Amino acid sequence: MSRHAVRIAAAVAGLALAATAASATSASAAPATGSAVIHESNDFFQKAAQAGIVAVPLPTATAGYDPASGLSASFPVTGGEGRMNNFFGGVDLGGGLLFVDARTGSAVSFHQLGFAFDTWAVTAVPDGSTTPVALFDPAGNNSITSSGSTQNLTADALVLDAEGAQYLDGRLHTTFFTAGQTVGSFTLSYTPAA
Amino acid sequence: MRHTAAKAFAAVAMTAALTAVAVPAMADPATGTVPASTDIVGAGSDTTQALLNQFSTDYNATVSGTPKLYSWDATGSATIVPKSGAASITRPNGSGAGIAALNAAGSSLDFARSSRGPQTGDPASDLFVAFAKDAVTWSAKSGGHAPANLTTQDLFDIYSCTAGKTDWSNFGGTAGTIKPYLPQINSGTRSFFLKAIGNPVLGSCVVTGPEENEGTDPALQNDDNLIFPYSVGHWVGQANGHTTATDDKGNLTLRSINGVAPLTASGTLNPTFANPTYGRVLYNVVRDSDWNASPATTKSTALRAIFGPSGYLCSTAGKASTTSYGYLTLAAAACGSTTHI
Repeated sequence: MSRHAVRIAAAVAGLALAATAASATSASAAPATGSAVIHESNDFFQKAAQAGIVAVPLPTATAGYDPASGLSASFPVTGGEGRMNNFFGGVDLGGGLLFVDARTGSAVSFHQLGFAFDTWAVTAVPDGSTTPVALFDPAGNNSITSSGSTQNLTADALVLDAEGAQYLDGRLHTTFFTAGQTVGSFTLSYTPAA
Repeated sequence: MRHTAAKAFAAVAMTAALTAVAVPAMADPATGTVPASTDIVGAGSDTTQALLNQFSTDYNATVSGTPKLYSWDATGSATIVPKSGAASITRPNGSGAGIAALNAAGSSLDFARSSRGPQTGDPASDLFVAFAKDAVTWSAKSGGHAPANLTTQDLFDIYSCTAGKTDWSNFGGTAGTIKPYLPQINSGTRSFFLKAIGNPVLGSCVVTGPEENEGTDPALQNDDNLIFPYSVGHWVGQANGHTTATDDKGNLTLRSINGVAPLTASGTLNPTFANPTYGRVLYNVVRDSDWNASPATTKSTALRAIFGPSGYLCSTAGKASTTSYGYLTLAAAACGSTTHI
């Protein structure tokens, strides 16, 4: 069971009967779908590269590049609970993210990515750990829209979370990352399991 | 680590809140103050009026010249002149009335306070700017006949006046005929509560009328059998001392739904209770054409300086007031995010 599912199930214990019925239904129905896309701006990419740092999406995430907007990494939605426009719950994302610093010869990889609607942060669990780290925070203008059961978030900025910056610098032995550092932008599309 | 940091921040925010609200908020623009035509003026929800009054006092203290921020209460004189040079309008009482007044032809309002999100019938040109979270539960007289907890189905039956479900003894309480009350028709709290419990067809036992979130309403006094929806955050704010002669919880206490308590052990809004069924986001509604004016205008700049993700309501000081008035703050850029129908 996903960490979001565990958290929500514990949180709404009073709704246990309804939740049980819902999960029993959803087990044989359509799973949650969608994707989260982290757009890495050319500016951040160039500065990171100059510092010897690259970030690489790992399967089942996919990468793309657009000369105008820069690199992008797309992570598939694999599960979720709650509602984005209620700022409650979150989504689970497939794939992983690898950070490498060529100068120090250090690397750290993350899996179990997610986006929490309550803390409004992209989190990930470092390989070998069980504790999620808040890596990125949507910033700037955030627009939430719905189309049918699909919920969409468009954030025109994505910044490094203070926790993520400290963690990455610690593991990569760098001083490149700073809290609030602009990485690019962020979009999320989420259709709950039916 | 993140949770520890969050708790530490909450403690700091609470301390800051005690400082931030040292200057009492005014109801309506202060007597003798006529908002300038360029000021940012709003009306609407009863639930957030006290907090917006506080924001007005605190924000205006940071602004030299105009535009300043003013907010008209949901109740008071029958009519208001929102700002200098504007026509007199019926005072909007409630989220729906505020949104309607914002969208009226020639409206002089710049925003509407709303305790509900966008819904069918709202213009797509309205942007709902989020700034806090609240929840709605049911209240009853302290020491009265109602039990401590009801289920969603119980509430549906009570407001349907279902046969065999009209006495508190049917729900584990003390015998007494249940008196279900609802706030006035334009109340966002009313519409949210009814939707949360399944939109029952209201039975003949239901009484509409009391002003929302006012336990002092004469209709709600000394009745052991009443049940009345209540904003959890507003109740916490009242318990924190943000009251007036009428804006007070009186002797109403909040009760649980489906076994989940609306309050934490320390008396704050329980985030778990603020789930998608009973939790709601608080907004200020603006016109898209004002918010996204291109090129930027004095008004668009002011609206974003007040309600935007980097604006006053989402600042440390603004969030401290939000906490003091009983509501949950929104993390990062969730505060100031926009949504629409």
